[in-house]
Amino acid sequence: MPVFRKRLPRPLSPITYLVRNPGKTVPLTAVILLAVLLIAGVVAIMDSIPYSIRTIYGYSRLLLFAGPRGESQLTQDIVERFRRQKEVPVERIAVVRAAPAIVRSIVGKWPFAVIGFDQKDLPYALKRMGTRRLEGRLPRQGVAEAVVSEPVARNRGLKIGSVLMSPDDTDNYSPFQVKVVGIAQSDEWFMFADKDYIRGNHFPPIDVVLAFAPTESDQVRLGAWARREFKGERVQLLSFYEVERDAKEMFRILYAILNVVIGILVSVIALMVAMLMNIHQGQRLVELGLLQALGHTRRRLLMRSLTEASLLVVVGWVLGVALSLGLLAAFKAILLDPQAFSMQLWNPQAMAYTVAVPAVVLVVACGTVIWRFRRFDPVGIVERRLV
Amino acid sequence: MIRAEGASLIYQDHGREVAACRDIRLTVHPGEFLGILGPSGSGKSSLLYLLCGLKVPTHGRVLFEGRDLAAMDDDDRSRLRLGAFGFVFQQPYLVGYLSALENVLTAGAGRPDPDHALGLLDRLGLAEKAHRLPHELSGGERQRVCVARALYGRPRVVFADEPTAALDRRNGEQVVRLMNECRDGGALVMVTHDEHMLAEADRIVRLDDGEIVSIEPREPEWPEAGISNGILREPDPLR
Repeated sequence: MPVFRKRLPRPLSPITYLVRNPGKTVPLTAVILLAVLLIAGVVAIMDSIPYSIRTIYGYSRLLLFAGPRGESQLTQDIVERFRRQKEVPVERIAVVRAAPAIVRSIVGKWPFAVIGFDQKDLPYALKRMGTRRLEGRLPRQGVAEAVVSEPVARNRGLKIGSVLMSPDDTDNYSPFQVKVVGIAQSDEWFMFADKDYIRGNHFPPIDVVLAFAPTESDQVRLGAWARREFKGERVQLLSFYEVERDAKEMFRILYAILNVVIGILVSVIALMVAMLMNIHQGQRLVELGLLQALGHTRRRLLMRSLTEASLLVVVGWVLGVALSLGLLAAFKAILLDPQAFSMQLWNPQAMAYTVAVPAVVLVVACGTVIWRFRRFDPVGIVERRLV
Repeated sequence: MIRAEGASLIYQDHGREVAACRDIRLTVHPGEFLGILGPSGSGKSSLLYLLCGLKVPTHGRVLFEGRDLAAMDDDDRSRLRLGAFGFVFQQPYLVGYLSALENVLTAGAGRPDPDHALGLLDRLGLAEKAHRLPHELSGGERQRVCVARALYGRPRVVFADEPTAALDRRNGEQVVRLMNECRDGGALVMVTHDEHMLAEADRIVRLDDGEIVSIEPREPEWPEAGISNGILREPDPLR
């Protein structure tokens, strides 16, 4: 006699149906999986743009720029006011000069700055940027040399001896070839040079104040103090707060469009899945009618169908998330990492957007199942009136 | 055990009242084989559905062990069907993705008892095919699986609605014989339009146009409970 217990002991378990009907369950799962994959991919890639901005200008978490607007004499006054304030400890104040340069991002060129430090401030600045090791050396005083961080070197394809700025490069212009003499092992993006070289060769002729607080939380407080202190004055401030604010503002409309697109996508997918579920349930009328005629309660059958729908949706979502993570990881490793383009692999925002798919599909699927059950007559089935 | 007291089933068909069953007065006794005979459209199946609680009467009532089926809610009637009744329908309906054995296990309340299910399939000559899917079985074999399913929960009453309609004569007779032999003391109520299939019946109810025309032998001669169908068998005028 065949041994039954080795087989599935619960023939009416939702799992039994799902496992034994791959022709029906796989397409439904695949629709959800593809929807999740599509949405997670689109959102992650879109979100990589502001994420890139936060990454590229992430060093602004560690310092505060304060520069005079068109009135170069204000610099010393700014320094004095930073020194006088007692609200937030300041570890160091550096007066620097900056020259424009560019880095590349997933959407093209982004403006960046080569910051010229006094020789005495350069080691501090590197340490402040979390430099773990310096390959090469620091720029010499008054010489067209620069030290860049490892992400910048990867992004721009620079090595020691490469040209960072040159007279021929309109994006990275300098009257002399500025060569890379050091690559700093750090996660931050920065390009540092000697202040005297920048002061002597670049416009505008304005010294900028960099204020360093001892910790990142102090840096946030220092930024808040400076915004109050210099409000309405001819002083331009730049900290991570401004970077975040500007990035949000820049992408507000983009995200509004994204929301509309995803809303339409979710609606279309939900409608499609609901139609599939409806066909699906229609094909099972004989089974459901038979079981109800045999004595399985409507409630139990309904719960079984809802559990099946829920399992399909959850499995589709989990597989979709897993697949999207895998594909995004491959995309990042193959296309983004070599150029240090940023993308957040585990992106909570992208994942949050994908939740809309299983949520709406589950609601529509459950609604379809309940609607089918409300209109259900087992006698019609066993009498073949509805078959 | 089951008593219909003036039960009628009237429904609306395009604004017209149609009586599927009218003023049915009938008792199903424990252990008996009750045949319901009548031409097509005479209300046989409707009567069966009234007796088993799949339909509730629009007038009168149907009682199972004193309980009015119409007073129960849908879930209670379902539970009653699962626990006390077995069903064989006209078509050998099985769940397509379950094996013969698993189909048998879908009936009956309580914990699954695969040994009992296999025993039934064995008695019905299907032990070797217990793990086959319905599409791998012939029509006669599928109907025998349905019989095993109907008997699996050790039901008090097995209801069979034209169980031989989709089978040839030989298979039909075999199914009825097996159903009758394997019911282990449970009553069997079978609807058919083929009188030959009721050769083993203890009583035959004849229906026409939704009304009982005759009951052979007459009902008052039947004791109420506790007697097997073998003891109860009385001379059958049809044989």
